[in-house]
This record gives sequence, C-alpha cells and structure tokens, in this order.
Amino acid sequence: MKIKEFALENIPLIGLVILMILVSLASPSFLSVDNFLNILRQTSINAIIAMGMTFVILTAGIDLSVGSILAFAGAVCASMIGADTPLLVALFTTLAIGAALGAASGSIVSFFGVQPFIATLVGMTMIRGAVLVYTDGRPISTGDFEVANAFYELGGGYVAGIPIPVIIAGVVFLVCWYVLNHTRMGRHVYAIGGNEQVAKLAGVNVSAVKITVFAISGALAALAGIILTARLESAQPTAGLAYELDAIAAVVLGGTSLMGGRGRITGTLIGALIIGVLNNALNIMDVSSYFQMIAKGGVILLAVVLDRRGKTTE
Amino acid sequence: MKKLLRLAVATAVLVGSTTSALANDTLALVVSTLNNPFFVTLKEGAEAKAGELGYKLLVLDSQNDPAKELANVEDVLNKKIALMMINPTDSDAVRSAIRAANRKKVPVVTLDRGANSGKVVSHVASDNVQGGMMAGDLVKKMLNGKGKVVELQGVPGASATRDRGEGFNKSIKEATGITVVASQTADFDRTKGLNVMENILQAQPEIDAVFAQNDEMALGAIKAIQAAKRDIIVVGFDGTDDAVAAVKKGSMLATVAQQAGRIGSIGVETADMILKGKTVPKYTPVPLQVITK
Amino acid sequence: MTALLELKGVDKAFSNVRVLQKVDFVIKAGRVVALAGENGAGKSTLMKIITGIYRRDAGTMRYRGSDVQFTSARQSMDAGIAMIHQELNLLQQLTVGENIFLGREPTDRMGRIQWPVIKERSRYWLGQLKQDISPLELIANLSIAQQQMVEIARALSMNAELIIMDEPTDALTDVETKILFDVIGHLREQGKGMVFISHRLGEIFRMCDDVAILRDGAMVHQGPVSEIDEDELIRHMVGRELSQQYPYDGVKPGPVRLKVDGVSAHGVSNVSFTAHAGEVVGFAGLVGAGRTELGKAIFGANPTTAGTIEVDGAATRLRTPRDGVGAGIGYVTEDRKHEGLIQAHGLRSNMSLIGLFRFSGLLGALDKKAEKETITGYIDAFSIKTHGIDAMVSQLSGGNQQKVSIAKSLLAEPRILILDEPTRGVDVGAKREIYNLINELKSQGLCILLMSSDMPELLGISDRILVLSNGRLTGSFSRDEADQESIMRCTVAGLKEATVQ
Repeated sequence: MKIKEFALENIPLIGLVILMILVSLASPSFLSVDNFLNILRQTSINAIIAMGMTFVILTAGIDLSVGSILAFAGAVCASMIGADTPLLVALFTTLAIGAALGAASGSIVSFFGVQPFIATLVGMTMIRGAVLVYTDGRPISTGDFEVANAFYELGGGYVAGIPIPVIIAGVVFLVCWYVLNHTRMGRHVYAIGGNEQVAKLAGVNVSAVKITVFAISGALAALAGIILTARLESAQPTAGLAYELDAIAAVVLGGTSLMGGRGRITGTLIGALIIGVLNNALNIMDVSSYFQMIAKGGVILLAVVLDRRGKTTE
Repeated sequence: MKKLLRLAVATAVLVGSTTSALANDTLALVVSTLNNPFFVTLKEGAEAKAGELGYKLLVLDSQNDPAKELANVEDVLNKKIALMMINPTDSDAVRSAIRAANRKKVPVVTLDRGANSGKVVSHVASDNVQGGMMAGDLVKKMLNGKGKVVELQGVPGASATRDRGEGFNKSIKEATGITVVASQTADFDRTKGLNVMENILQAQPEIDAVFAQNDEMALGAIKAIQAAKRDIIVVGFDGTDDAVAAVKKGSMLATVAQQAGRIGSIGVETADMILKGKTVPKYTPVPLQVITK
Repeated sequence: MTALLELKGVDKAFSNVRVLQKVDFVIKAGRVVALAGENGAGKSTLMKIITGIYRRDAGTMRYRGSDVQFTSARQSMDAGIAMIHQELNLLQQLTVGENIFLGREPTDRMGRIQWPVIKERSRYWLGQLKQDISPLELIANLSIAQQQMVEIARALSMNAELIIMDEPTDALTDVETKILFDVIGHLREQGKGMVFISHRLGEIFRMCDDVAILRDGAMVHQGPVSEIDEDELIRHMVGRELSQQYPYDGVKPGPVRLKVDGVSAHGVSNVSFTAHAGEVVGFAGLVGAGRTELGKAIFGANPTTAGTIEVDGAATRLRTPRDGVGAGIGYVTEDRKHEGLIQAHGLRSNMSLIGLFRFSGLLGALDKKAEKETITGYIDAFSIKTHGIDAMVSQLSGGNQQKVSIAKSLLAEPRILILDEPTRGVDVGAKREIYNLINELKSQGLCILLMSSDMPELLGISDRILVLSNGRLTGSFSRDEADQESIMRCTVAGLKEATVQ
C-alpha cells in the first residue's frame, strides 16, 4: 500500500529511472560520470527556464515569451561583455532586463485582464523582433577582453568537477523550492492557481503576485540566456526558438497541472531531466533524426497519460 | 466627381505605361531578401555583369514575404521586361508568381533557390552536392584516407541537408578506410550543434573529423570539442563571417563557401544567352570554393 | 397506493468504505417523501444510484413496475426521473434558456435549434415559479437563489414522473420557498412522485407526506410524517437527543465596534447601523435584498460609492478585501465552492491563507511548525472531522467545510466577523456546533454580522435583527420584539416601495 502510494505520487521519477535503465541497456557509453555531467549541463538551461515557468503555470498562467527573452538577454549581455563591462554589472543588468520584460507581461495580464497566453504571445513576437533589430540578424561575439574569459566560465567552467551551469541550476532549484514551499509568496502562488476568487477574498494581492511570477520567469529566462551565451561565447539572434515548448513540456512531465494550483518544483526538475536524457540517448544511440521526433513526442505523451491515470485513480 | 477621378487614374496609368515602356534590354531581378549579406552580394554580382553586357537591371526586394514577392512580380510584369530572374522566398509559394510570368510569356530564370512548379527556362544555383563532395575530398585528404568521421546534418528534409549530405557521403565512401561513426541532426543551429556534438563525444572515444552541413553547427561543435580537449578537424559549409574568422584563427579547418556574386553574374549570362536565342541547360551549377587558412 | 420506485437491499461501497447497506426505499406516486439524515449519512449517494450516476453493488430497483439498471444520468432522465442537485450544475456562461434546455434543445427537421421555443417555454416554467427572469440572461449574472429557481425550472420542464430535490430551499428565502411549495403541491395533485431532501425540519413537517431517515448508510425509519414528531425525527437522525436546537447566550454587548453610516454600493443604498463587541446582529431579507452585497461592501470586496465605515472609532477606507483583512474584518462567504475554499487544496493551506502573516517572518519565510500547531488546534477545537491536516477540502462534508471556512477567517484574528449563510448545506448536528461556536466567539468579544435566509435560525441566535429590502434597511428589531411575521412585513414593505418608485 505504501509502495503503491509512493508510486502514484512519483510517476515522473519512476519514468526517469525506467528510461535511464533502458538507455543504459541499449548503449554502454550512457552510464558514465562524464556523460551524466554532460546531460546535467545540457539540461540546466531548460531546467532553469522550466522552473520559472512552473511559477507561472502554478498561477494558472503560461509564459510563451521565455525563448525570446533568453535571446534578448543573451544579445544584451554579449554586447556588454564585448564592450568590456564589468562582469557583475553585465550580469545584473541582464537579469534586471529579463525580470522587467516578464513584469511587463505580468502587468498586461493583471491590469488589462489579457489572457496570459495572448499577453506572452505578443511578448514573444515583439521581443524576438527586438532581438533581430538589436543584433541586425547576426550573432554577437563576446569579444576578446579579459572579462570574456571570466564570462565563459559561467557556461563552460567547472567547480570541483561539476559544470558551473549545473551548480547554477541547483541553486535556482533550491531557492524556488524554498519559495514555493516555505514562504507566504509560495502559498499565494498556489492559492491563485487553485481559485483566484478565493485568493482575492482572502486578501491576497493577486496582481502583485502575478506580476512577480512573470518577473521570476523572465529573470530565469535571462539567466538561461546568460549561460547559453557564455557557453557559445556569442549570442545568436535565433537562440531560444521554441524553448518555451521544451520548458512547458518539462513542467507538465513533472506532473504540474496546466489548470494551476497543483504541482511541484521537484517534478519540473525531473521533467527537464527526462527530456535531457532522451535527447542524449537518441544522439548516443545514433537514432535517425526522423525517428527522434517520433520518439520524443511518444515519451512525453506516455508520461503525461500515465501521470493523469495515476491522478484519477487516487 | 467620380468620373473625373476615373479619368485622372486612367491618364496616369497611360502616362506611366508609356514612360516606363522600356526597351528590350531590361532584366528584372526579384530577390527574396536584401537583409542578408549573401543576397546583397548576389545582387551586386548580377548588377556588375548586367552593366558589362549592356542590360538595364530592375531589382526588387521581396523581404522574405511570398505575398510581397507576388506583388513585386505583378508590378514588374507590367513594365515590358525581357526576362525575369527570381530568387524565390519559398520553392512552393513562388508558383503563382512564375505562372504570372508564363502567362505574359516572359522567360524566367531562378537563382539559388528553385521553383517546384511553373515553367522555368533555367535554374542557376550553387551545387550543394558538389560542395558536399568538396568537403568530403578535403576530409579524405587530411586523414590520408583513414579515420572516423562525424556528420552533423541540417533541418531534416531540407534540400540543402539532402544535397550536402549526398555529396559528402558519396566522396567519403570512395575511401574504404574512413567510417562515418555518427550522423545526427542539429537543425543548422549553433546551440544544437554544441549539444549534439557533446553527446556524440560521449559515445565515440575516437573521432578524427567532423563535417557540419553549415557553419553555425560547425561553430557549436568546435566549442564542444574544445571543452572536451579533443583534437578533431572540423569542416563547415557556407563561408559566413564567423566561420571565416574561425578558419583564420585555426580552430576550424575549412568552410565550403557559396559564391553569391557568381550566382548573380552567371544568372545574367544565362539570361543573355536566352535572349540571344541560344539554348541553355536547365540547370547551371555555380562552383563553390573551399576557404582554408 | 402504487410504488413508483422501489429499492430493495441496496449496497454501495467506495474503496472499501461502506456508504449504503441494505437500504430499502419506496417512493409512491402522488406523494412527497422526505429523505432526512445528517450529512454523510448517504442521502446523496442513494439519489445518485437512483439517477444512474453511481452503480449499486447489490440490491434491486423497480421503476414503474419493472426492474431497471440505469448506467448514466441520461438514461434515468429519459425514463422520467429529474434531479435538482445540491451543487448548482448550471453553466455560468450560458443563458437561462440554454441551461434549461441543455442537452435536449428543441430542433426543427433540419436540426436547427428553435430559439423562440426555448424562450417561450423557459418563460413559462419560470413563470410557474413566479420568477421574472429573462431566458436570455446569463446564469453568471443571477443570484444563487435565482440560479436555484432556474435549476428547479429545468427539472419541471422535463415533465418527469419522479422529481428528486436535493436541498432545494437552502439557497431560497421564505417567499421563494413558499412558491416552490405551491408548485410541489400542484405536482402532487398530478400524481408525480417526489423526493425532498432538506435539513430544515420545519419544511419536512409542512410539506411532506412520508419521511425516510438514513443514518450511517442504513435506513433507520420510513413511514408517514403524521406518525412522527420533531424530537423523534432528530433522534433517528443523530442517534442522540438534542436538547435545544438554537442555543442562545445572552452576554452583555460591549462598546460599539462597527459603525456603518450612509453606505451605498452595488446592491446597497444608504445603509446605516452600528454593531457592538460581543453582539450577534442578524440580517434578514429576501434573495437579492442586498445582504451579501452589504457584507462584501463592509469587507471591501464590493466597492462603496458613498458613506463611511468606522471600526472601533477609526474611519477606514476599504477598497479591496486586503483592506478588510487589515482592518480586522473577517468575511465567511455564502458560496463556499467558488469563493470560500480551494476545493483541490488541503485543509492546511486553505485555513492559513488569510492568516499567513501570523506565521511569516523575514522575506515571508513561514514558520511551518507554528502553523501546524495553530491549525491542529482549530481542527480539534471545531471538531472538524478529517483524516489529516492536508486532506483535500473537497473530501470533507458540507458542515466540516463550513467550519474550515470559518476557522480560515478566524485565523487572521478579526474583530468583526461577517457570516453569510453559515449553515447552508450543513446537517443538524454540525449546525448546532456552528451555533455554539458563534456564541463562543460572541463571548470572546467579537462583533458578528449574521446573514441568513433561515428565519428560525436568525430569531434563535441573534441579539438584534435588521431587515434589508431592495438594498435598504427597512426594519430593526431587538431579540424580544422580533417575530417571523413582523420581519416578513418589512421584507415585503421595501419591495412595494420599490415598485411604487
């Protein structure tokens, strides 16, 4: 009985473990410390975006603009690094821009009553346009100043053998977990997603919370943009295209309800890992690119269906 | 009042058509976009050659929008032109534009990107298959006919992906000592090139060379290879500024560059031959160029 | 007399929990049978088995002389059984007419919906209930009572042989209840069979011919109403004696706590009154008289357009519920499902939502240990029956949900508590617990505003009763002066005045 309960509660985790067992049976090079670090590093970008997305989805919203914010933040950051801006100044400016772009979406949602889907769809389009204008459609290099080397470490460096992006994603996870589970803000996020009217009558400042969650999502997308730019030592105008879909997939794979009010940040982390392991496995096993898409879609479908069935039998 | 207006419009049209009744030496060039340096170079090549051969050249920019493209073609067909060269925004969407030219009996030459329907006298483009072979030949030479090779493919199903892959594999197969150990897509994207290469590096302890079907993927792969501290030669495709810089720096072995200017000039030469009644081949390949240090 | 529907030996269990055991139940044509029992006794389950929403595990069901086994609500509907649900099952964004004919829209041969027919018949059935509601009005724009009347009209429009009414009067005021009873009388004359579920014992004796009593899933009594009295009925229901239905605690009120002066808002015009610490002020009125609107205006959820509100002598400006909470006002909504509790969340997060500030420190970090202690304390003190602090609210009975809802407001330590229909959908035992709770809070010095459509309840526990009609105050009675008749007169007086205008 206890085992069954645990299983129903943790379908995403079990799915991840099964996937990893299957892949390691199929390919010997999968099971190595190096490859695991490699998967974690590749997953860290999507995981960071998806954790911000989790906040928004918990309030029954959605944020389609993360991919564009990532590209914009990356471009701004690359040009600042390329102009020899002190590292911390560049980083905080970039994060602030991401948060501001997110807060703008949140304000449109709160004050004009626009559906989050529409508000962030508009954001996605306009910000992508801004990226193309800003970059003139060309990649921006981080340049050859001393600061560029330090900046590269954010994407390509290691601390005690662990890739820095993984460490950043870990810290983000801990902070998000704490906020959602141990602060008033977290409770308010869940309450708004559970029933906005109830939350309002309970004295929750619904507008402020909504703006904050979109700002968090924007800031984390910008953080992902920073890491991506650092890894490539340049910002791509097309960076982050369709990243919102991977992030939403990770959130949903993690068992969070798109209706809001229900879900866990740990689930999102696992969801991101499932996608990361899958990408890695398909490459390692040299699966033809035509089959890859079918396989990815199939796994996501399977996981979501299993999770739904687990929930309804409760 | 209405009548007056109609009269005015009619006069304007009449005057317009007479003043723009151009001689038989005018060529039109409809370009998919002039926001991209590649097509600007293409245009410049065509302009130079047109001047040389004594043609007037009308250039229109479709701004990557098939609707704008159709409008451009309709406009230009109203201006008595001898021949239309078109660089389509999309091989399928260009169909009605080409039909319009066919109806007016204006010969059409497509540049760089082909058309899937409609009557086209000749198609002028870089030979992607040949480019792939050039990359393959270079890899063969560098490895002395022996080694392990990775291929990074473009967007699945795109014609560039098919042609470049076909040429490369054709060339590589001639050397029995070379095996392609992984062939994965990275969607012509730099980030994906990095991620996919990292994964392949995990799976393959021995890699001697990488052929990426465009420079973006090649630049991503180079980051992965540098981070893994492995010694692998990388060949890209397109000859973008970043890639040429990487070749100069030595981190990339070579890039196979299209010669945009020559696509434009060969296009005008082909037009010239058509107008002089000579027979031209259905497809004129424009040679590519391997850029090395 | 013929049995319209007869159940024998019906069993039902949900994942090993027995909900019904060996239930026999007879519904006769031309008679109204009351189904009584505490919440959780199995009344709703029994009705859902009759209407085919649930399947029985054992037993037989004979309907109009033949054995039946309905597998969906649709089948029972087609067989002539209509059910008026306790939870309003109307689609909020559709019109009244669309809701009444939902799923059985009249169409012509081409399959096109005949809107004029829908309008005309909707009007007719609403007219039977003396409701002047446009068939084109959106459900969302109606009050809960009006929605209830639409739901009743929907059931009537099916021309069913058997009509099941699950607490139909709970959302209604006395006037509407009387209309409903007249309609039930007509249906009885037409030979229809009816099941009437209500927690209001008075209604059972007034309206019903037979009574069936469920306790813990077993049928403990069935027979004519004339052969049973109220005490016996209650004894059957709860299995113990209830000494007094409305406990009243006559503590002496303290100083003025709330002063409302000339307040106008949506649905409220120029209302002035004062309320004291340690006092229960009851608000009577018809549906739509403005009780809920007044409560929300005082709380800040319904913006005021004129007038002032003072709490403990200090003028307060209340524009949002946040302001209300900040000013020490608690509001317990009449609409638990949509405004009161997050149904899919646990007890803990629901209860502490308003009072979270009590447990939060630097940057909003929560002291979860203190929170747990406080909430467990409330669960014990209110004897909320739950299998855990994180059990989903939707799994609780109506009475327990109401207690959670009240506790939720109390956690923010208010000085004024507005209770809007606090005993709606609550069984007899839990009602009494809520009355005791009100008295307890009163003795602690809280100022309580009690909005209720249950007149005996208002008379039973209020210190003072104010009457609202059409958004205005039309009467004020002390506990000793108040009686049902004079209050009634005030509620209708306001209406007349309105029609003259």
